[in-house]
Amino acid sequence: MTSSPVLEAQSLTVQRGGRQVLSDVSFAVRPGEVFALLGGNGAGKSTTLLTFLGLITPHQGRALAFGESVHNNVAKVRSRAAYLPEMASLYPHLNAWENVSYFLQLAGHPQARDQVAAAFDQVSLPEEARNRRLESYSKGMRQKVAITLALLRGVPLLLLDEPTSGLDPVAIDEFNQLISGLAANGTTIVMVTHDVYGACQVAGRVGLLRRGELVGLFEAPAQSRIDAEELHRAFARSHAS
Amino acid sequence: MNQAVRIAAEEWRYWSRSKLAAAVAVVMLALALASAVATWRDITKERNARVELQGAAESIFANQPDRHPHRMVHYGHYVFRTPPPLALIDPGVDQFTGTTVFLEGHRQNSATFSPAYSGPHGGTFANLSPATVYQVLIPLMIIVAGFASVAREQEARTKLLLLTVPVSWRQIWLGKTLALASFAAVALLPLLLALLMAQGDSGAELAMLGGYGVYLMTWVCLVVSVSDRSRTSSWSLMILLGIWLVVCVAVPRLASTTASAVAPLPSKIETDLAMAEAMRSLGDSHNAADPAFERLLANLLIKHGVERVEDLPVNIRGVVAEASEAEQTEVMDRFASEYAQQELEQSRVLRGSSVLSPMLAIQAFSTAMAGTDLAHRHKFLRQAEQSRFEFVQDLNRLHKTELKYADDIRRSSHADAERRTRVSASNWSRLNAFELEVDPFNERWSRAMPFFFLMLVFLLAAAALGLLSKRDNEIE
Repeated sequence: MTSSPVLEAQSLTVQRGGRQVLSDVSFAVRPGEVFALLGGNGAGKSTTLLTFLGLITPHQGRALAFGESVHNNVAKVRSRAAYLPEMASLYPHLNAWENVSYFLQLAGHPQARDQVAAAFDQVSLPEEARNRRLESYSKGMRQKVAITLALLRGVPLLLLDEPTSGLDPVAIDEFNQLISGLAANGTTIVMVTHDVYGACQVAGRVGLLRRGELVGLFEAPAQSRIDAEELHRAFARSHAS
Repeated sequence: MNQAVRIAAEEWRYWSRSKLAAAVAVVMLALALASAVATWRDITKERNARVELQGAAESIFANQPDRHPHRMVHYGHYVFRTPPPLALIDPGVDQFTGTTVFLEGHRQNSATFSPAYSGPHGGTFANLSPATVYQVLIPLMIIVAGFASVAREQEARTKLLLLTVPVSWRQIWLGKTLALASFAAVALLPLLLALLMAQGDSGAELAMLGGYGVYLMTWVCLVVSVSDRSRTSSWSLMILLGIWLVVCVAVPRLASTTASAVAPLPSKIETDLAMAEAMRSLGDSHNAADPAFERLLANLLIKHGVERVEDLPVNIRGVVAEASEAEQTEVMDRFASEYAQQELEQSRVLRGSSVLSPMLAIQAFSTAMAGTDLAHRHKFLRQAEQSRFEFVQDLNRLHKTELKYADDIRRSSHADAERRTRVSASNWSRLNAFELEVDPFNERWSRAMPFFFLMLVFLLAAAALGLLSKRDNEIE
C-alpha cells in the first residue's frame, strides 16, 4: 500500500518578473521522506519551496500539500510546515532564546525553556552564546538558531532552503544525523541545496533542477545512498548543457 | 489579535534596544512638554496681565476727574481679550492678531484692519505651541519611529519567516500599527497634561484630545501602510518625508497663497486712506457749523420750534457729535464688514484645502475648539466695536443733554464756562465692564465637527491603504 504524498507538484509553472522560473515541474514527496532539490543558482529551487508555502502563485499547474491545494489552504499548510530560509532571517537585536521564543509564540506553539535548551543542544549551539544577541553571531550560529526554531515547531513537514549553508563540517554532519533521525520518526523533509554530497548523505531521493526544469530524479537503492559520483556527473552535465 | 499584540510588544522591545527610537521618544516628549509648559507660562502670564490691565484701565477711566465729556471720548479706553483656557493648546490666530484694542471716538480700533488671517500659522516655529508641535513635529517623529517598521522585516527577510510561521500580513500590519499607535499615545500624554492645566470645559478638552488622537492615528496608519508597501526602509522614509512635506508645508503654503490671491486684504494704509476719503463727506464732527450738518440743524430747529441753536433745549455740539458718530460708525462698519468678509473668504479657501491636508483639518478643528479661530476673533472685534460705540455715544449724550451750548462755545476763553462744561466724574462709572466669553461648547463643536469627520476620512483612507493592498500568497 502506498501512502498519499505529503507534497506534490503537478506541472508547476511559475513566472516571476516576466521570466519563467519553473517550467512544468512535477514530483511527489512521500511521508517521512527526505527529498532534496539540487540545482545551480537560479535553477528554481527556492521558488519551488516558496510555492509550496503559498508565497508564490503558480502560473500554471498545482502545488499540493497534505492532499490539498496550497493556494486554497495557505494558513493550514503553513501551520503544518516549518520553513528554514536560505539566509537565516532572525532578529539581530534579540538573543537566541528571545528569537526562538518569539516565533514559537507567534506560531501558537510556545515551548518550555528546558525544551528549547534541549533543541539548542541538538544543534550544538554553545551555551555561552545563547544569551548573546544575534548581531554578534556567525552565519553558521544563526543558522543553528533557525534550525532550532524549525525543529521546535513540531510540524510534520520541514522545508529547508540551503540548511547547511554556513555550517562547519562537524555541524553539517550533526545536522545530517538530525535530519535522518527526524525522517525516521515520520517527519517529511524537503531541502534545496547545491551541495551534491550533502544531498546524497541524507536524501532518499534527489530531484535535479536546471533553469526551472526538473531534468532528473535520483533515488537511493534500498538500504543504501544515492551514488554521489553519478549525481555529480549528472549535475555537471546539466550545468554544461 | 494575539499575534498582533505580540508583534506590537516585540516592536517596543526593538525600540527599547534601538538608540534612534529612544532618542526620537525623548525628543518628542521633550518638545511636547516644553511647548506645553512654555505656552502655559505665557498664556497664564498674559491672562493675569490682561485681567489686571482690564481692571486697571477701567479703574483709571472711572477715576478721571470731572471733565468735558468729549475729552473723555478722546481719552479713550482699552479692552483686552483674555485668552480662553484652551489657548494653552492652540493660541490660534490670537498670536498674530493681538488681543488689545484701544477704544476711541471717531475711529475703529486698528486691530480690525490688521492683516490677521493671511495664512495658516503652522509654518512658523517662532511660537512653538503644543498645537504646532502636535500638528507638524510629532508626525515627523512618528515617521522616524515607524518608517522601517515593516520595510525592515522585508529587508531582513524576517517578514518571510513571519508569514510562514504563519502570521498573516494583516496581523503584521495590525501589530506594527498597534505598536506605533501606542507610541503616539505616549506622545499624547503631555497634551493630556496640558489639557488638565488649561482647566477648560471637559467636553472641549475631550474633543481636543479625540481630535489630536485621530490626527496622530492617521499618521500612524499612513506610516505603517507606506512601510508595508515599500521594498526598502530608505524608500519608505523618502516617500513618507515627501508626504509630510506636502501635507504640512506645501499644501498649507499653497493654500495660504491661493487664499491671499483669491481674497486679497487691503493694507492698513490703503484702508485708512479709503476710509478717510469716505469720512470726508460726513463733515467734521467737532464743528457744528460744518455744511454737512445743515440739514440736521434745520430739522432740529424746526422740531423744537426755535430759530437759533442757542435756543435749543439740547447742546447742538453734542447732537452733532452723536449723529456724526453714528454716521461715521456706519462707514467704519462697512469697511470692517468688507474686511471681515475678505478674511472669511480666505478662511474658506484654507478650510477647503483641508481635503488635501489633514494638517489643515486639525488646525481648523483645533482653533475652533480652543476658541481661537477667526470666528472668535471677529466676535471679539464686534463686541469691542459695540462697546466703543456705546461708550462714545453715552458720552455724546452727556454732552448733548448736560452741557449748555453757550458755555461749550466759550469754554476756551472763559474759565467759568470751562468749569461748567465739566461733567461729574461719577458719570465715568457708567462704562460697561468688557468681558468676552468663548462660544459655548455646542457652537464650537458644530464649527469643528466637519473637520473631525474629515480627519476620520483621512484615517480610514490611511488604514485602507494598508489593509486593502495585498494577499497572503504574494511576496516581494
